[in-house]
Amino acid sequence: MSSITAPSPAVDPTGPLVPAARSRRRTELIMLIFAFALVAFAFANVGFSLKGKLPSGLAEYMVAYVAVILLAHLAMRRFAPWADPLLLPLAALLNGLSIVMMYRLAQQANPATGRPVISTSQATLQIAFTAVGVGCFIAVLALIREPRVLQRYTYTLGAAGILLIALPALLPASISEVYGAKIQIRFGSFTTVQPEEFAKLALAASFAGYLVAKRDVLALAGRRVLGIDLPRARDLGPILLAWAASLLLLVFESDIGTSAVFMGLFVAMLYIATSRTSWLMLGFLMFVAGALTASKLVGHVGERFDIWLHPFTPANAQGNAYQLIQGLYGMASGGLLGRGLGGGQPYITPLVQSDLVISGFGEELGLAGVMAILLIYGLIVQRGLRAAMSVKDPYSKLLAGGLSFMLALQVFVIVGGVTRLIPLTGITTPFLSQGGSSLVASWMLIAVLARISDTARRPPPRPIQEEGLTQVVTLN
Amino acid sequence: MNRALRRISIAVLAMFILLLINVNYLQGFAPASLASKPNNARAFEAQFQYQRGNIVTADGVTVAESKPSNDEFKYKRSYPYGPMYAPVTGYDTLYSQTGIEEAEDSLLSGSDSALTVRNVIDLLTGKQRKGANVTLTINSKAQAAAYSALAALGKPGGVVALNPKTGAILAMASYPSYNPNVLATHDGKQLNQADEQLLADKAQPLLNRALEGTYPPGSTFKIVTSSALLTQSPNTTINTNVDSPTQLTLPQTTHVLHNDLGEACGNGSGQAPLVVAFAQSCDTTFAKIGMQLGAPALNDMAGKFGMNDANLTVPLPVAKSNYVIPPSQALTAFSAIGQFSDTVTPLQEAMFAAAIANGGTLMKPYLVQQVTASDLSTVQTTSQSVLRQPVSSSVASSVGQMMLAVVQQSEGTAFAFRQGVTGVEIAGKTGTAETGQVSLNDAAFTCFAPYGNPDIAVGVIIQGGGYGASAAAPIAVQVIKAYQSALGNQ
Repeated sequence: MSSITAPSPAVDPTGPLVPAARSRRRTELIMLIFAFALVAFAFANVGFSLKGKLPSGLAEYMVAYVAVILLAHLAMRRFAPWADPLLLPLAALLNGLSIVMMYRLAQQANPATGRPVISTSQATLQIAFTAVGVGCFIAVLALIREPRVLQRYTYTLGAAGILLIALPALLPASISEVYGAKIQIRFGSFTTVQPEEFAKLALAASFAGYLVAKRDVLALAGRRVLGIDLPRARDLGPILLAWAASLLLLVFESDIGTSAVFMGLFVAMLYIATSRTSWLMLGFLMFVAGALTASKLVGHVGERFDIWLHPFTPANAQGNAYQLIQGLYGMASGGLLGRGLGGGQPYITPLVQSDLVISGFGEELGLAGVMAILLIYGLIVQRGLRAAMSVKDPYSKLLAGGLSFMLALQVFVIVGGVTRLIPLTGITTPFLSQGGSSLVASWMLIAVLARISDTARRPPPRPIQEEGLTQVVTLN
Repeated sequence: MNRALRRISIAVLAMFILLLINVNYLQGFAPASLASKPNNARAFEAQFQYQRGNIVTADGVTVAESKPSNDEFKYKRSYPYGPMYAPVTGYDTLYSQTGIEEAEDSLLSGSDSALTVRNVIDLLTGKQRKGANVTLTINSKAQAAAYSALAALGKPGGVVALNPKTGAILAMASYPSYNPNVLATHDGKQLNQADEQLLADKAQPLLNRALEGTYPPGSTFKIVTSSALLTQSPNTTINTNVDSPTQLTLPQTTHVLHNDLGEACGNGSGQAPLVVAFAQSCDTTFAKIGMQLGAPALNDMAGKFGMNDANLTVPLPVAKSNYVIPPSQALTAFSAIGQFSDTVTPLQEAMFAAAIANGGTLMKPYLVQQVTASDLSTVQTTSQSVLRQPVSSSVASSVGQMMLAVVQQSEGTAFAFRQGVTGVEIAGKTGTAETGQVSLNDAAFTCFAPYGNPDIAVGVIIQGGGYGASAAAPIAVQVIKAYQSALGNQ
């Protein structure tokens, strides 16, 4: 097995010159302290900027946040001591910034409405969701000691994923429709759950199981057209199914962003499993054809393209493109270094607490802050892909690769949408957006990546070497 | 599988690079253009957080500046001279702008792309960002004379003074005016109240009459009619006798055109030298000439002097001065003496004289000399340009001699002003546009000075001022006097 990264001790148990493998948990702790300091500094910044003094709830907020994250760190020590030391600090930093942003949004009233964008209780809830997210993170680490066990539930997870996606579409609009998309389930008046966030994880695990089992067949070449080996017609079933599911999502739930993420996830995993470029092209063409057709048939989709191409026409500027434009204005007003946390006017941008949260960061932390956030995401993805490359077991490889790619794709779709690189579609920004489902699902994703990196980096059991005794060599 | 994973890594890298490039563009390069988009509330409010640039006259008098303020915004606009410069500077309120404040907004506020690099340097060196300063072509002495003379008269009107050689606007005043300081308030309620009051005022103080008010030019239009005649028939000189009846019955009507107060033209023989008819401003003479030339020729010449142009900006937009081709000969006669549907702005009046003064070449009028960044480096300089070439230099010289006769010959309508400015020969043309009642006639005057080497051309129109010579000419003389003394010519 080859790797572009330096061979980790776990992969190469033979050389006596290789230093003893290190768990790097202390590195993780130091990086965590760094993240805590940044978050505390950001909090203080908000307070000084808005009220001229340290924010009143600073101690409580920080204690809760640090305690929850330290629990995650202890769980890592206990359940995944060999996991990548960067994953947790990076996720914790993003999560902390999200708490600061929610706090900041709740502290300043929009002069136009006299109310803040979100209430203080909603901001506090972000901490509660962090606790639930970290709880799920710990649970995943504790329950799934070997990623391969998930392979057993391939079909169960697949069915669960599809059910989760379909649920809001089947439910009446009164409890599932939000801003024209049917993606939520509302419990009472306050709590909503976005099942698709969890469906993404379930389906990724399911795809991995299916593809590991079928990859040899899928890699078989069919007819050769224009120098590309097309797959055999009879093997097209799964990709057609995924395509149909993503289109249904598009048509019945008007959720283009998630549909693109699903399709991208499936195609990327198909490619990782088979190494066949033809799958990539086929999947890409099918998605584009589907999206174009949908844009003609479904008003919601065509409108997204129109907003993207012509946001500044008077009708669009005051209408459907309003939030996109306000987001752009916000980021532009931030410029290179931003207006400082608490110094901007993010409340002007609609949905700045959820879909357009990156524009809020752009406005207050500037280009420098947005680039830093993008690099944090990039690092998480890179650590995930690195784990995928160094782990031996094909199922784990596929799952880690798929999940990492999905995270990257989601960031690309939402940040690209908000910055007008691609049409804006409403999906959450992992860790940063307000809302429990996305935060909890993101923590679970990090848990799976941590588990797989732990498997990859774990040194093999030491061979017992004692003179005079039979040498026992583990072969695995 | 690792080969595929590596390729996926490269794809992911490409995606992130695309995002990074795009945010760099959005936050590094696009802010200036996004800030100028309509409805960008942030950019609009942000301008009050930076020190806006000053507006300064050519001779260094600050007429608009931003002073530190103690409310939610850091700076407040202040106009030290109030109504005098209001038509020039305009105002900068929380919600809207006019005048130079509007025309040069992106530079004054510092958001213009020409200032991006300087802003970045200021940011990196920790210097407070500041907008660029706008230097006007206005001469403060000429402007003060123009406004005080208008205010002393107390009738609505406008004055524009130009440098005929460059097109630089030396003075631009309008009366009645308003105090832009009232509109610079940061209190939305006060602002609305002041705004409503100004809009409801019947005297229309917000109207910049110098550029936006259009009035019948009256006899000042005879400059155009004479120019058309001298251009069309090269054998005609200013001493050529032309038909100058005391009464003229207009064709296909019973209407009899008299000269003012029924006076005879010249010696009453029915013939008079062109220069005498011009100096005395005989309506019958020029009505006849107009009918001979025909409306298309008059229209052509009026256009060459800058009329019928709706797109002129200085950079403030200028209202169109109109010559409308009349439907009959009788009305053509009226149009040739500046009546019928002819209307001009005070700026157009100044342009008549400026073109003649500059040997027949009309320079494009402009109000902004240059723009300098807060570090005193020049951002923009206005370069002079030729707007049109209405007449040849020989025709210009002839018309100039006739305008001199208006002031210097005893029969001239503005003879009273031959000593108006000591040692400076003024050449001009009066205009009195009949509105039916002598006291309500619109008074116009266009002139240039000194005759030998003109450095100023002035156009004045007073609504309901009466005779051009009595209401408009004294104001022009005041402006010339102030400017000549500022230049040290007196």
